[in-house]
Amino acid sequence: MAVSNIYVGLEIGTSKVCIIVGEVRGDGAIKILGVGQHPSAGVRKGEIVDPETVQTCLHDALARAEERSDVEVNTVFLAVTGSHIQSMNNRGTIRVSDDQMEISGEDLEEVKKIARDVPVPKENGYIHSIIQHYYVDGQEKVLNPLGMLGQKLEADYHIINGVKTRIQNSIKCVREVPIEVEDIVFAPVAAAQVVLNREAKNEGALLIDVGGGTTDYICFVDGAVVASGCVPIGGDHITNDIALVLKIPLARAEKLKVNHGSASLKNTRNIEIAIGGESGKTVEQELLNQIMNARAIELLSVVAEPLQKQGLLAKLGKGIFLTGGSSLMTGIGDVAEDIFGIPVQKAGSTAMSGPSALFENPQYATPVGLIRYAQLLDDQRPKKSALSKLGKSFEKIFGGGR
Amino acid sequence: MIEYNQLDQGELPVDAELGVKVIGVGGAGANVLDRMALEGSDEAELLTLNTDVRALSTSVSSNKIQLGSTLLKGMGTGGDPSLGKQAALEAVDEIRAAVRDKGIIFICVGLGGGTGSGAAPEVCRIAKEEGVFLVVFATMPFSFEGARRTEQAREALESIGKYANAVIAFDNDRMGELIVPKDGVTQAFAAADKVISQSIRATMNVVFRPGIIRIGMDDLLSALDSKDSRCLFGYGLAKGDNRSHEAVEQALKCPLLDKGRLLNDASAVLVQVAGGDTMTLYEVQLVMEEVNKHVGDGTQILFGTGTDKRLGNSLSVTIISSINGPEGSQATGSDPDTEDEASISLGGSPASSPFTAEEDEVVFEEEADDGVAESLLPTLDQSVEKEQADFVEDASEEGGSVFEVESADDDGEDHEDEVENSDGSDLEISSEDTAEDTADETAEDTTGDTAEDGEEFPSLAGLGITEEVDKEDERNPIARAVEDAGDDLTPFDSVSGPDDDGGVDRVEAVTDAEQKITLTRMASDSDDGRSKSRLPEDFGSNALDSEVRFDDATGDDLPEEGETSEEAKQQQEMLQLEPISGKGRFAKTDPTIVDGEDLDVPTFLRKK
Repeated sequence: MAVSNIYVGLEIGTSKVCIIVGEVRGDGAIKILGVGQHPSAGVRKGEIVDPETVQTCLHDALARAEERSDVEVNTVFLAVTGSHIQSMNNRGTIRVSDDQMEISGEDLEEVKKIARDVPVPKENGYIHSIIQHYYVDGQEKVLNPLGMLGQKLEADYHIINGVKTRIQNSIKCVREVPIEVEDIVFAPVAAAQVVLNREAKNEGALLIDVGGGTTDYICFVDGAVVASGCVPIGGDHITNDIALVLKIPLARAEKLKVNHGSASLKNTRNIEIAIGGESGKTVEQELLNQIMNARAIELLSVVAEPLQKQGLLAKLGKGIFLTGGSSLMTGIGDVAEDIFGIPVQKAGSTAMSGPSALFENPQYATPVGLIRYAQLLDDQRPKKSALSKLGKSFEKIFGGGR
Repeated sequence: MIEYNQLDQGELPVDAELGVKVIGVGGAGANVLDRMALEGSDEAELLTLNTDVRALSTSVSSNKIQLGSTLLKGMGTGGDPSLGKQAALEAVDEIRAAVRDKGIIFICVGLGGGTGSGAAPEVCRIAKEEGVFLVVFATMPFSFEGARRTEQAREALESIGKYANAVIAFDNDRMGELIVPKDGVTQAFAAADKVISQSIRATMNVVFRPGIIRIGMDDLLSALDSKDSRCLFGYGLAKGDNRSHEAVEQALKCPLLDKGRLLNDASAVLVQVAGGDTMTLYEVQLVMEEVNKHVGDGTQILFGTGTDKRLGNSLSVTIISSINGPEGSQATGSDPDTEDEASISLGGSPASSPFTAEEDEVVFEEEADDGVAESLLPTLDQSVEKEQADFVEDASEEGGSVFEVESADDDGEDHEDEVENSDGSDLEISSEDTAEDTADETAEDTTGDTAEDGEEFPSLAGLGITEEVDKEDERNPIARAVEDAGDDLTPFDSVSGPDDDGGVDRVEAVTDAEQKITLTRMASDSDDGRSKSRLPEDFGSNALDSEVRFDDATGDDLPEEGETSEEAKQQQEMLQLEPISGKGRFAKTDPTIVDGEDLDVPTFLRKK
């Protein structure tokens, strides 16, 4: 069936606000229709600190996206991130009703509810509850227990939650454009949809999205999400470091970082780099690299630590995937390999149709991923045609429930 | 045989298709309209909008709409634009009906008060929605009317600018140029009204007048088409032997054209030369040559001529143009005091400076150095300055910590207080205090050490600080320094920040060096001997001694501004012993604390 759906993904990042309009055809292929982006000004460490400025950037990005894709954007899928987002794994158990022994949809809902019942700070709300595995009567790693017979149903869920108000702030900002937010997605969850293929997820892979303000990560083992999180350190910190240590303006620091710097200390040439501007100052390549290296090591160590503790690093068959704008930094792959001790590859989204600059560029992994996520979400929801909706309401009115 | 009607070239069936309407909003607008009616306006319909019903009744125009009849009950707005806006919204249907289906609408309004500033933007919006070509003539209030009116006028002008195809603003302050000083006030206002009504007529004539070389609406649009639609306008009418010269001169002299200077910046200029049957090609040529002298090389000149029997023996020259708003204002933004530039009579300069300020704000994050340099301009908003001040302040904490090192074990409490201040201005004040406090203490030292002054000086030079002390100036240099620093803009001038352009550099360096020397002097005063041993190796205690005594000797003499810039900065870099606590970009965010460390501080510095 050639029904194609158009989805829009919006990411309000620290370095850029990006809207991507994509079309997903029936066979699952994504075609990117248009991108609108604008450098971001009111966002720090992944969170909005100046809603008004963000509004302006949003308007701009939206206008460009609509123009390029020729689509009027009404609802978007919004990517959220921030250090306030926590994730944990929890298992829920229910006994299937004795007379039935057949696992029904309601049982699945029930076990999901129980699994989600994790103590979270009261200001937190749920963002995602991602099923990891089901266990039916001790049988492990059942993928789809619907219809199976069993007495005890257990489910492992990966719960992602975050401070409600902070997320609502983002939603509010978007609503004022005005665009409706169809759903919020934790950024690395979206990115994983397009950067990691099924094989990678099954064999174990860690996706690290090094962005401007934050570094998000998500770890798959045996096809399920086992860890995810956000570290509020990103490319901005590296620029900031350079600026503070060398005492130069941020813009020059950024240029140095992008054009001359390397996060790795290998192959450091003994040269001086001109900083530019009237001061005529120069900096040694070595010093610059050291600054970047120190921060890169710290950043990746902070990511590695909890994963190491949980023993997950040993289970990554496909290794580590680096994506995000800051993954373009020279040498960061090397640093990552040193710290994690596992092969690291830099990746953008998997190929799709549309301008190749988009899907190959790791900066767009998250917004493109939002489109894929949107499609998956829609697939999971039972298709509601008008008649079936009518049918459902009849059902409710005339009883017939079990 | 094919017959066809030879319409006089260029004559547009005015009333039938492209109705022209002139709308006066508010008291001042109504006055202009009255003058137009007095001089006879054949082609255009006139309409007056006002809240004050008495003013409305005395207006001579054929059509009138009362705004806000229920809201204000026939009284004026009392100078409140928000009331004016609501009043306009009340009469929105009538206004809409009035502007519908017109080709071109001129709106005359005097900004600053209630009805004009409040209702005019609404009327413009409605007109734009109906799709008419909108030209607005606005007058900006006298400066003596106060800042609030000026502010209201500016805001209104900005909103109008959003909707109008063209805005021609006229500064009342320039009214003085229109008349001889001894003329009465009524004459002054009459002259202003005249200029505006002339402008309107001329613009209409330009488009509607029959011409040999026609100028149409399209030419008008392209002449007026600039990013900010701020218009220049000049009109001259003369008869007699030298009429071409005189007419052109008059047009160029027109205050709305600022004596022809601004034509240089325009991208397109529309010139129409019109006369009766007696006009010669030679005269037209003269006029155009004159105009050409004033416009830039890249300017496109749209030229038209017309014959209008009504002109008889006179020759009229109309010049219409526009310049880009922001450029125009940046040229003027730096010098609001210069009367000529500020009152380009575009009213554009004050209105645009928020624009430039915004630019700075947004761009600020990217180009901190440019931002700081530009912000030395007094016209920018306080908020921009403050932002930058915060940023620079934080970066300056490095300065503060330098002194912490040197005075680590100081007993002098004032001293420690000073040191903690990263804000340069505070530092000045407290240093002044301490100077006074310890003035007595050092008095004795001073006399004794004068002799050593000469010796110590060379070792200071050895340190790399080439301080040429002004020995003649025995005044308390701290006070002088405070004065000097105070002359510049506070607070960020006196604070060390990122390596900037020359001017800011100098001032920073001065204060750094001043601070350093003052404080080291304090150190030695309160703690003989102790602080010296804690000094960084680079300095060498001898050097410090000499530095210290040097200070005492000359009685608080501080170095001249500027000479210490490079050396002082290098010194400062050498003395980086403590981790920098500045956070640069993350100054205003929640610190990221992991394992007790604040991760916003550069790793490179923390792990050293």
